[in-house]
Amino acid sequence: MDSLLRRVRTKLSIHAHRKVRGLIEGEYRSVFHGRSMDFDDLRPYVPGDEFKDIDWKATARHGSPLTKRYIASRKHTLMLVVDTGRDMAALAESGESKRDLAILAAGTAGYIAIRHGDQVGLVTGTAESTRYMAPELTESHLERMLQRIHASTTLSSDPSNLSRQLDYVARTFRRRMIVMVIADDRQLTSDEQRLVRRLAVQHEILWLTIGDADLMREEWAGRAMYDVADSAALPKFLRDDSTLRAEYASSVTQTATTTEEFFESVTISSRRITSGAAVVPGLFRLLEAHKHARR
Amino acid sequence: MALIAWWAPLLWIAAAAAVIGAVAWYRRRHRVTGGIPVAHRERLTALPSYRRAMSRYRLLVAGFALCLVALVTGGAVLTARPATVSLVTPDLNNRDIVLCLDVSGSMIDYDAVVLEVFQELATEFTGERISLVVFNASAVTYFPLTTDYDYISRQLERLSEEFDDPAAPYYGGTLIGNGSSLVGDGLASCVVRFDQGTADRSRSVIMVTDNFVAGEQIFTLPQAAQLAADRGIRVYGINPGDAAAKDYLADLANEFETSVLATGGAYYALDDPSVIPAVVDQITSEQASILPGQPRVQVIEQPQPWVWLSFAGLVGLSVFGWRLKR
Repeated sequence: MDSLLRRVRTKLSIHAHRKVRGLIEGEYRSVFHGRSMDFDDLRPYVPGDEFKDIDWKATARHGSPLTKRYIASRKHTLMLVVDTGRDMAALAESGESKRDLAILAAGTAGYIAIRHGDQVGLVTGTAESTRYMAPELTESHLERMLQRIHASTTLSSDPSNLSRQLDYVARTFRRRMIVMVIADDRQLTSDEQRLVRRLAVQHEILWLTIGDADLMREEWAGRAMYDVADSAALPKFLRDDSTLRAEYASSVTQTATTTEEFFESVTISSRRITSGAAVVPGLFRLLEAHKHARR
Repeated sequence: MALIAWWAPLLWIAAAAAVIGAVAWYRRRHRVTGGIPVAHRERLTALPSYRRAMSRYRLLVAGFALCLVALVTGGAVLTARPATVSLVTPDLNNRDIVLCLDVSGSMIDYDAVVLEVFQELATEFTGERISLVVFNASAVTYFPLTTDYDYISRQLERLSEEFDDPAAPYYGGTLIGNGSSLVGDGLASCVVRFDQGTADRSRSVIMVTDNFVAGEQIFTLPQAAQLAADRGIRVYGINPGDAAAKDYLADLANEFETSVLATGGAYYALDDPSVIPAVVDQITSEQASILPGQPRVQVIEQPQPWVWLSFAGLVGLSVFGWRLKR
């Protein structure tokens, strides 16, 4: 198995020991709540499974909890929508590359989905072009997808424009699927908000935001900093100003709240993660939030 | 306005281009290492206090750049040495005048008036040199050719006072010799008082005498006049005794006049001392018309406005630099 997926799995096993990992799988399973009633088979209960899915009679016979599996819950499609524009090659809030966090998040989600028997597809792209990898069920396919994210997200890539990819998803896929958008702290324009609102009707949307670098971070104040979009430098002397720092911090909080409120208003589960260590727990919280959101 | 070192600004431009090129090259080379790549800077740049700080910063940078330009421009122009070029005709400023006064008894009144006139003129002179020689039987240099007009005024004043006082020794040293009013010797003495023989200056003698010679002369008046003419010296004669229509005096006056005219000077016969100021005026103005001087190109450097520009640029540079540092 290639390196990227192994890294994801290592991360998964380090950061989430067995129990949590099972929890995540359970949470993932319950993302779709519109189930078919076609019973398929039984499998051991894992934490996170809906209690009402437990087959109590079979459990009583078997001695350990068993959960009913339905046909409809088996073949879903997880469509990963990842921005691979230049913006994603910049640093995340923790100082890691946003691309690495995106790969970790996409890999974790994809791995769980495949383990669950679901197909995973990928939509990547920039402001210039959008690329699509059809859903498949193999780990090698997931690895190829992660490699694509890795290879196409560089500082010399085309600029980012996630609305291109969102538009593509909205226009292309008729069948309902789980769409997991991996984006950064970009502000959605009103057009994009309309697009997202439409997508939320078509699909199950999970929105994972990778927090952008703290521009006023104190230990970076002495170093040069530039915006990857146009290579414009951010002057050092301003990044060391304490009043500006306070204003920036409150502005960031304000923006995060606004974004969260928007996603809530369109019934999309969203989560903002800031570091590699926060990817697995963040994903778990995202899935959990989605389960509990009764729509 | 002309530039003496017109090529200097070219060097400045070349130097400025070299500096800008070097900086651009350096920056491009070091851009690769970049810095911290971030995205969505509008999170910071859209903040009002960021915009305020940025516009203030831009203002300071603009001021800094302006002052730098002022300083460099001023420096460049200064090294080019701006100057005004004009054709000047130096007129009477390089005159040498020897007042040659006959101090025999009958001439004192006239001498006094001449002194008075020159006392006034001395306050207006710029560059002219005046000497005073008094003679009777022998000539005495009262003061040599000098531009020290204070000194000249004091000496003239002193001599005037001595003329009024019969006991004063104004004639000290003038009676050594055989006779009195040895006009030829007096003029010859005055003529040899000029120094800087080769310098391009106009030389004139204002001679006040009645040419009434008593005694043995070494030089006769015509000989002395010839000496003056040989040395390019004009002699202006003022003869107060000419008016008295006595024959023997007429001969003397005649001789005086022809001698003086032979040197290219002028001759004034008068019996009233009050006319002398007008006569001196006439002499000096006549000289002015005769001696327009050699026209020459005068180059005067005019660095003042550029010095001020550079200075203002420097001050602004330090102020803006200080504000930028903060």
